Amino acid sequence: MWETTIDGRTLHFHLAGINNQNFIMRDEETGSWWQQVTGEAILGPLKGRRLTRVPQDEISFALWKREQPMGRVLRPDPRAAAAGRYAPVDWEAGIAKLPIATRVRDRRLDLRELVVGVTVNGRAKAYRMTDVQQQNPIIDTVGGVPLVIVVAEDGKSVRAFSRRVDGKAVDLFATAPATGLVDSATGSGWDFSGRAIHGPLAGRQLDRIEVLRDYWFDWRSYHPDTAIYSAGLVRQRS
Amino acid sequence: MNRRLLWFLLVIVAALALAVVIVPAWVIQPFRPQSPGGLEISFVLKRIAPFVTIAALLAGVALVVTLWRGARWGRVFLVILLLPPAFSAWFARQNHFEWMFNPLANAGYTRADAATFVGDGDLVMAVARNGEAVAYPVRQLAYHHLVQDTVGRVPIVVTY
Repeated sequence: MWETTIDGRTLHFHLAGINNQNFIMRDEETGSWWQQVTGEAILGPLKGRRLTRVPQDEISFALWKREQPMGRVLRPDPRAAAAGRYAPVDWEAGIAKLPIATRVRDRRLDLRELVVGVTVNGRAKAYRMTDVQQQNPIIDTVGGVPLVIVVAEDGKSVRAFSRRVDGKAVDLFATAPATGLVDSATGSGWDFSGRAIHGPLAGRQLDRIEVLRDYWFDWRSYHPDTAIYSAGLVRQRS
Repeated sequence: MNRRLLWFLLVIVAALALAVVIVPAWVIQPFRPQSPGGLEISFVLKRIAPFVTIAALLAGVALVVTLWRGARWGRVFLVILLLPPAFSAWFARQNHFEWMFNPLANAGYTRADAATFVGDGDLVMAVARNGEAVAYPVRQLAYHHLVQDTVGRVPIVVTY
């Protein structure tokens, strides 16, 4: 998601093509081509410029509704819906069967493996979705920032937070039953929005770190120097 | 002027007009890797295609008019050779990606508690700005690919 105002001018975008399975959009105002995943103009008058990122949060509808009961939801377009254009509920299984066109040859992971990608201070790291789900939460340090990656109760919504509280890194563990987190320093309980809900730190909020759910080949294509989290290696530096 | 030369020119004009629109469409097709050079050529061709194809069509018409007298059965081929520039001039003004993935012209929204069209387990892209929260169901985004909106007075494009 991107802010569309650049130099005081609001751009309007159209789908314009595809670059190694990541789409290109063209703005009406200058005709420049923009890469969807990076928000960077790759060709045209605005080449080299970047749109301002809007933090991405890809979560289940139930969770979103609980956090934002007053929010609004994009309605299906009646024509597209009638024509059966929208993806079925199990659409990700269908995508997994599509061919992959990519120049990425890095087979450390399966090309179609679902990963959770994090970029901190220019350091990129990919976590296999299955590791994220099994080890929930994952405690790690990327680009010098101690972070935690958490999966919500629905098993699919993923968020990451900085583990710094008052300048010091805290360790976070799953509670039993796994409905939230507890920190090792004070025993305070934390929820999926990164807020301490009880204990000495109640009311405190951890800083969000953006995560991107992506396929390995796509993540690797736009983060060529990415590290990969090795399950089981606790506190691996990157 | 040499009629043979004019016929030859007509064939060249038809081939060029076609190439200007076919090459970018070929290079940026899905399920095929793209190179930076290929993208650059496509970008340039797409930019000049609206003008080049019209010029080709006009040149084609002029050549056909010149060759019309004296071409008896050849008139069929003259008409056929006008089809590529005509097609190209039209295609250069189309966005065939929007044929496949219709843009969302008038995006409509529903209150969270009234949104019966999204399953609880469906993923949404969520954004919250200046007190306003919006969810974009991924199953809809996966088709439209981009949705433009203004959230908390900030114009944004949601991409998937």
